[in-house]
Amino acid sequence: MAEVKITAGVRSEFGKGAARRIRRAGQVPGVIYGHGAEPVHVNLPGHELMLALKTPNVLISLDVDGKSELVIPKAVQKDPIKGFLEHVDLLQVKRGEKVSVEIPVHVEGELAPGGNLIEHVLNALPVEAEATHIPESVTVSVEGLEAGASILAKDIELPKGTSLAVEDDAVVLQIVAAQAEAPAEEEAEAEEGAEAAAPAEGDEA
Amino acid sequence: MLIPRRVKHRKQHHPKRDGMAKGGTELAFGEYGIQAVTPAYVTNRQIESARIAITRHIRRGGKVWINIYPDRPLTKKPAETRMGSGKGSPEWWVANVKPGRVMFELSFPNEKVAKEALTRAAHKLPMKCRIVRREAGES
Repeated sequence: MAEVKITAGVRSEFGKGAARRIRRAGQVPGVIYGHGAEPVHVNLPGHELMLALKTPNVLISLDVDGKSELVIPKAVQKDPIKGFLEHVDLLQVKRGEKVSVEIPVHVEGELAPGGNLIEHVLNALPVEAEATHIPESVTVSVEGLEAGASILAKDIELPKGTSLAVEDDAVVLQIVAAQAEAPAEEEAEAEEGAEAAAPAEGDEA
Repeated sequence: MLIPRRVKHRKQHHPKRDGMAKGGTELAFGEYGIQAVTPAYVTNRQIESARIAITRHIRRGGKVWINIYPDRPLTKKPAETRMGSGKGSPEWWVANVKPGRVMFELSFPNEKVAKEALTRAAHKLPMKCRIVRREAGES
């Protein structure tokens, strides 16, 4: 995975007022920690960081006051409605060091006919990988799988230098049988039954 | 319909409507979801109505998750009653939904049908909503 270069400034003022001033200026407050060192509070350029974070577990070469550091995103806080970045935690890493990260699982291929459904038990697979060679994602083929089939963590082919950080027999995804369509009358009856049960509401313990 | 089996206090204060959702703002189970954009009290009848709208549209082969629960009672005094004489009787059970909350999730193979089902469900809900989808790189 290619490194992304970002220049950051050291943050000297803290609290919500200062953080809001920083965000208004188009920057994102963040913190760098790891390797037992004291945390460093920084301001990062908002747009560049947003573009970088589109890649999962992106390796960032951060230039803080002329000193270069390698970091990966550890926790990203976003506004739930507008989606802009509010704060980012960055974990300091070294070249050759193994880190625990979660990589997205992508699915390819068509299931066996019958309208079955893929249920993702793990949307992201926890792995241990070299900080400079973190895979962007893993792809799982579900071609021709029938209902009841499941794909375990050990079934997934990982790139060289990457190992699983979960148990081998952890279920990553399973194929669930299509539910039979409930007849409209039956459903209507069930609704009436629920209405009848309603007066029981609010019983005091 | 969703109703708490037993509660500690039958009558409660009105839940606070301010602020944003603290959690449950991203898809956890399904491929598509309905996210609240404005705050509202969602009653158990509205939740059930939205659920039925989804299941009737997708017919078969999908899975629906409901991430909100109507655990707050709201009371109402009878019509033409003078003030006083205590708090009214419990009338509704509501979920206090804040902006950002993903209320319903759906897994379904056909994107067009899934989005249409969720749009129909969103029409049953008392707030502005939007349909969200799991992105390719999103974990």
